[in-house]
Amino acid sequence: MATDEALALETPRESRALPRARPTLSPIVPWAVGIALTWLALAHFHRDSVAMLWHWAPHLALGLRMNVLISVLAIGIGTVLGAVVGALELSRCRWIKAPARGYVHAFRNAPMLVLLFFTTYVFPFEIHVGSLYLPFPDWIKVTVGLALPASAYIAEVFRGALLSITSAQWEAAASLGLSRSQSLRWVILPQCFKRVLPPWMNLYAMITMSTTLASLVGVTELLESARNATNTVNRTDFTILVYLAVLTLFFLYCYPITRFTARLERKYAFH
Amino acid sequence: MPESWLPAFVVAAKSVGLNYAFLLNAFEREAWLKGVVVSVELSFLSIASSLLVGLVIATALTSERPWLARPARAFVEIIRNTPTLVQIFCAFFVLNMLVSQALGGPQNNPLTAYAWVVIVLSLHFGAYHAEALRAGIEAVPKGMRESAASLGFSRRGRLIHVELPLAFRFAWPSLINNMVDLVKATSLGSAIAVGEVTYASLMIWVNGDNVLELMIFIFLVYAALTLFVVWLGGWVEKRLRMPGYGH
Amino acid sequence: MSESDKSQERQTLVQLRNVHLSFGANHVLKGIDLKVRKGDAVSIIGPSGSGKSTLLRCINGLLTPERGEVVVGDTPVHALKSEAERIALRKRIGFVFQQYNLFPHLTVLQNVVLAPIRILGMERASAEREARELLARVCLADKDEAYPGQLSGGQQQRVAIARALAMHPELVLFDEVTSALDPETVGEVLSVIRQLVEDGMTSLLVTHEMRFAEEVSHEVVFTEGGEIVEHGTPRDIFHAPRNPRTNAFINALRN
Repeated sequence: MATDEALALETPRESRALPRARPTLSPIVPWAVGIALTWLALAHFHRDSVAMLWHWAPHLALGLRMNVLISVLAIGIGTVLGAVVGALELSRCRWIKAPARGYVHAFRNAPMLVLLFFTTYVFPFEIHVGSLYLPFPDWIKVTVGLALPASAYIAEVFRGALLSITSAQWEAAASLGLSRSQSLRWVILPQCFKRVLPPWMNLYAMITMSTTLASLVGVTELLESARNATNTVNRTDFTILVYLAVLTLFFLYCYPITRFTARLERKYAFH
Repeated sequence: MPESWLPAFVVAAKSVGLNYAFLLNAFEREAWLKGVVVSVELSFLSIASSLLVGLVIATALTSERPWLARPARAFVEIIRNTPTLVQIFCAFFVLNMLVSQALGGPQNNPLTAYAWVVIVLSLHFGAYHAEALRAGIEAVPKGMRESAASLGFSRRGRLIHVELPLAFRFAWPSLINNMVDLVKATSLGSAIAVGEVTYASLMIWVNGDNVLELMIFIFLVYAALTLFVVWLGGWVEKRLRMPGYGH
Repeated sequence: MSESDKSQERQTLVQLRNVHLSFGANHVLKGIDLKVRKGDAVSIIGPSGSGKSTLLRCINGLLTPERGEVVVGDTPVHALKSEAERIALRKRIGFVFQQYNLFPHLTVLQNVVLAPIRILGMERASAEREARELLARVCLADKDEAYPGQLSGGQQQRVAIARALAMHPELVLFDEVTSALDPETVGEVLSVIRQLVEDGMTSLLVTHEMRFAEEVSHEVVFTEGGEIVEHGTPRDIFHAPRNPRTNAFINALRN
């Protein structure tokens, strides 16, 4: 090949000669806005606001616990349900496939908030099982409301992963003398897993962030706790601090997940 | 006039157990239809401004000046890793309050809840657009950059005439996805009493026993809106197609 | 030798003195000296990896040598600091790439007029008129509305040549312009270049087409391992090489 041209290599000299375009945005704008906001925020602070945040911390922690609980349950239910629906989507029978596709489309295209309204207002507040009356509290309805779209997304991920593994892999495994279940276990599923894991983790982060919607149907999670705290104290500096705390908590919870996902994606891209 | 067929529809719906009586109440009907209009408006206003924001942030992200690229990266990561609803609350309950105080009272504050939703959705989805565009800019073959430079284009000229037009085409499918998500996210406006279709429906079903009925309508509205966005996206994609170019 | 006397008188357009460049630990150019006179066609031949394309990129400022001088006309390319100076230089130098690098989102005509309109500030109407003339010259007058992706490699490369010529360059650099082509389209590109050289366009060609190099060049340069091993008239290099390395390269190609 005639690509002697060492240009294919990384070179600092070259990148100096031909960098990507520079933006035209004036640098002063974002910084000025940031500095003005910080100054504005700091101007309102009282010395005891941090102490007050500490005072409200248990209340906020209780709220955060609810977010984690709902997110874990929702992704759990969503994964099981999604695996089933994803498999049904690949069915050769039209009467199974079409409803499965419809399910995925419906729940992926509906806003999550509207789904939450649906599960909280349309579902009963208790369920009759024989003579038993089981309570059906709002936070469980929210969990179901989030699990439904989660399952639709997961079904798509599973379907994609199963389709991406070519029949050549099955044939190769079979020609090595593996049985069908052995092929599935040792060849197909490990490859599926690699394809499913990164989007699954991204979905978990997304579901976690969506748990804040529960505050809009009266479930006391972190955002609702924050609203309670700020409304009770009713002071500018405290309000700023509490919302910053909420942002920070979600960021600390989700950022590692998305970073780890990005690392996995890069790693698996080469295998 | 709708009056001629509406009663027939309400009766027909009644026969299958759905209560659409609110449609016969002119006040509730108008309020609900206004909600639909606001949703449409909110969606397209935010889509347009989010694309602008995305363009600016993508330019900053791919800049070689660290004092521009790093804050842009930090902004994108914060936006993508915190809940949209929390961002809306931070904007409306914190920033809006600060703006009001700075201007000497809420009566002097020109920013409405509607404006804040547009701002937050534009920034939020702008960050997502920016990530897609950044990937697009990085996917522009090195040879394109070289040949544009050889023709005498400056960095800015290369960006405007070669890199962005190509990046836009590479990123377009992701941008459409983001726009669909944006349309769905306009429902969050109801959290701060912006009168879009979700909020308008809420106001109606608190008065009556017709949650399921309105829910069906809301789903239809969002389905129509997202389908329209996807259709429009496909139409634009056809316009932007580069014949013979393998993608 | 009146022929060479005449060429001695002609003005030097490109001059490289002791040019060094490395990419990390890879020392690509190890002291290149080269001179191209106005109106000449100079071919650079040599094995892959000998830094030929890197050399061309030093001439239009896509790369900056670590050491040595590159002078085009009166411009010291190695010393250019600002982007504006590099742009002024690149406006004078056409560059044709191995991979054509046409802009896939623009039609053939738009590809050719983009730089004349945006960089030279030409009127669209006159830029288009000129572009059509150039397209006719490369025998693609009927393809003005086509997109690059719809053309064969040879056609794309001819568009790329027209695009370079639309800037009225003093010098055109050809970087292995036939290496990516199907054998049957090589000829059409070479005949366009031959015509250009006959019209007196100063050209510097990196090429693997030995027969073509022998036929069109005023001078041939043999490089290997980042150095210029030998240079001379096509006749000398191809039929009476003095250096054994040149000899080995030429013979290997013959057999």
